[in-house]
Amino acid sequence: MKLLLTGVSHKTAPVEVRERLAFREESLAGALGALKGRVGVSEAVILSTCNRVEIVLTTEDSADPQAIVDAFLAEQKAVSPPTIEPHIYRRQGRDAIHHLFRVAASLDSMVVGEPQILGQLKTAYNAAKSSGALCGWLEGLYERAFSVAKRVRSETGIGQMAVSVSYAAVELARKIFGSLENRTVMLVGAGKMSELAARHLRRSGASHVFVTNRTPERAAEMAALFQGTPVEYTRFVAMLPEVDIVVASSGAPHYILRKDDMQRVIAARRNRPMFLIDIAVPRNIDPAVNQIDNVFLYDIDDLEQVVNANLRERMKEAERAEALVLEEVDRMMARLKVAEVTPTIVGLQEQLEQIRASELEKVRRRYGPFTPQQEEALEALTRGIINKVAHGPITALRSHSAQPDGAHVVAAIRKAFHLQD
Amino acid sequence: MADMSVIWLRVAAALYSLGLLHAILTLVRRRENLFRVALGAFSIGAVFHFVSIMEEGLSTHHCPITNFYETLSMCAFLVVVLYLFIHWRYRLESLSVFIFPLVFVMVLVATMGNPVSAWTSPVIRNAWLTVHIVLVLLGYAALLFTAVASLLYLFQERQLKSKKPRKLSYRLPPLGTLDDLISKSMTLGFALMTLAVIAASTWAFIEHKEAWIKQPAIAISFFTWGTYMALVFLRVTAGWRGRKAAIMTVTVLGFSALTWAAHARLGVLLKP
Repeated sequence: MKLLLTGVSHKTAPVEVRERLAFREESLAGALGALKGRVGVSEAVILSTCNRVEIVLTTEDSADPQAIVDAFLAEQKAVSPPTIEPHIYRRQGRDAIHHLFRVAASLDSMVVGEPQILGQLKTAYNAAKSSGALCGWLEGLYERAFSVAKRVRSETGIGQMAVSVSYAAVELARKIFGSLENRTVMLVGAGKMSELAARHLRRSGASHVFVTNRTPERAAEMAALFQGTPVEYTRFVAMLPEVDIVVASSGAPHYILRKDDMQRVIAARRNRPMFLIDIAVPRNIDPAVNQIDNVFLYDIDDLEQVVNANLRERMKEAERAEALVLEEVDRMMARLKVAEVTPTIVGLQEQLEQIRASELEKVRRRYGPFTPQQEEALEALTRGIINKVAHGPITALRSHSAQPDGAHVVAAIRKAFHLQD
Repeated sequence: MADMSVIWLRVAAALYSLGLLHAILTLVRRRENLFRVALGAFSIGAVFHFVSIMEEGLSTHHCPITNFYETLSMCAFLVVVLYLFIHWRYRLESLSVFIFPLVFVMVLVATMGNPVSAWTSPVIRNAWLTVHIVLVLLGYAALLFTAVASLLYLFQERQLKSKKPRKLSYRLPPLGTLDDLISKSMTLGFALMTLAVIAASTWAFIEHKEAWIKQPAIAISFFTWGTYMALVFLRVTAGWRGRKAAIMTVTVLGFSALTWAAHARLGVLLKP
């Protein structure tokens, strides 16, 4: 059996190449059928996302998987090999397994640790399975890849931290309030950025959105988006004691919230914490506000700093994840080697059993017939002998299979016992 | 103290105990539905309290501030009058959470100036003391929880203020969750401690007669309870959180440890 992974990704190919090779969802079943139908192909999976296209297949030992894939691509996508060749990567055997595990664990993603790729891989797996292109070994490999991804996610912090500004804001809000249920949000200024932040906050459970803006029509429009309440711009500060999270993004050229304003607000709130997000440039909220107890003010740079710190943290976690993936690849390879010696073990046992049966038959012809007791004794004696004889070589096969000299040991044992190839 | 005076004072204490109940319920359930009843009882209690003081003054023919118990009763009465005035003028309901338990405990202590008959049986004496010890230990556990959660809160707050949340802060619970935990464990601890103080003063009063109040260990206990009450009050009314609350909680915990040390030989008193 041969395993070959052929693909292009955002790291090796520009979008012009990737889009030419991509398979649309509705054409995937047909393509899988065509690939599986080629001579020599045992199993096949096609993964096609906006960032990568990968074709994984196993073939019989006699087939040439690379030629099969090239012919398949030429037929399906009408691409000439020389134009795409520089962008394509091909991985075989252990390297293919390693690559697959890394992709599943989101170590090869554009944003390392983003979980979407695992879902896409599962979709590709299900598509291959339902169109009958997966039926055995490769299926096991994918299942292994999913559990490796799961292990990486639970044992490293690779997917834990927000790596976009608006998600970082939501995550910080969660750090302050715990649950966002029943928390109220005030948008000061009705821009695109604040809309995005409000959408994330609302999705995370925030109960009500107030919107204020210099032009009241725009405030009303935005409030309607979130079933919220527009608030008059001149009196929004008076509303603040009711509000837990403020997203400021107005175009005001000066501070619209100062320290003494906020001191009054927080006193009126009896010191219940408040989260102020200032994504306006120039800033809307006096930075001195952050000195007030129970007020947490983050401006756009602070949020970006959090995102960068999270990204660095992810990179650190990714290193741990790489080690984990390698460990899993080694384990998989060891398992494969053990599976490779299984036919030899079975052959050896069959060989010995055959010898035993024919020798027993000879004895019966010469000295038989025997009483049931005698039959039983002979049976036990001969079976005991062949088990003892087989024990040594079987143990050697099992223990040496995963080692570098394994192939020699297997060959020697096959030769010694006259096992047919 | 004159016998009749003490009886009136006990009636007042019983009425004031409703105020304590109101305070505890307010803290636990965050609703103030018992306030009107408690305020009524508090006002009627004030009348009995006044009668008690007059009785004492008439029977001894001098202003009743000559010994500790009389003075305490007088002081508590002045607090009551002042509170009623403030409430009438400013409607400061939240103050009641602080004042009601304080007045109750002051008056309870004041009623313990006259010796009563000794223990009817050693079993009751031991059981009483055991109840006190169990309540106080549970109270300490709750207080310890409050202190640990307060420190975690402080740490998490610093992290969020510094705007460079480190990895550790992702493992810590959110501020909101910690705040909730602090509120609950603090209130529970306060209720347990208050009951423990009541049980202990009654026990000590019967055990040591009128000399009980002179024991330094008991003075320390009352002081600790007072600081705990101040902590609860500041949290409920002013919403103290973060640094101030953490320092305060750790202080109360320190006083509690001191009180415990002062009572180290309490177990010896549990004799058959």
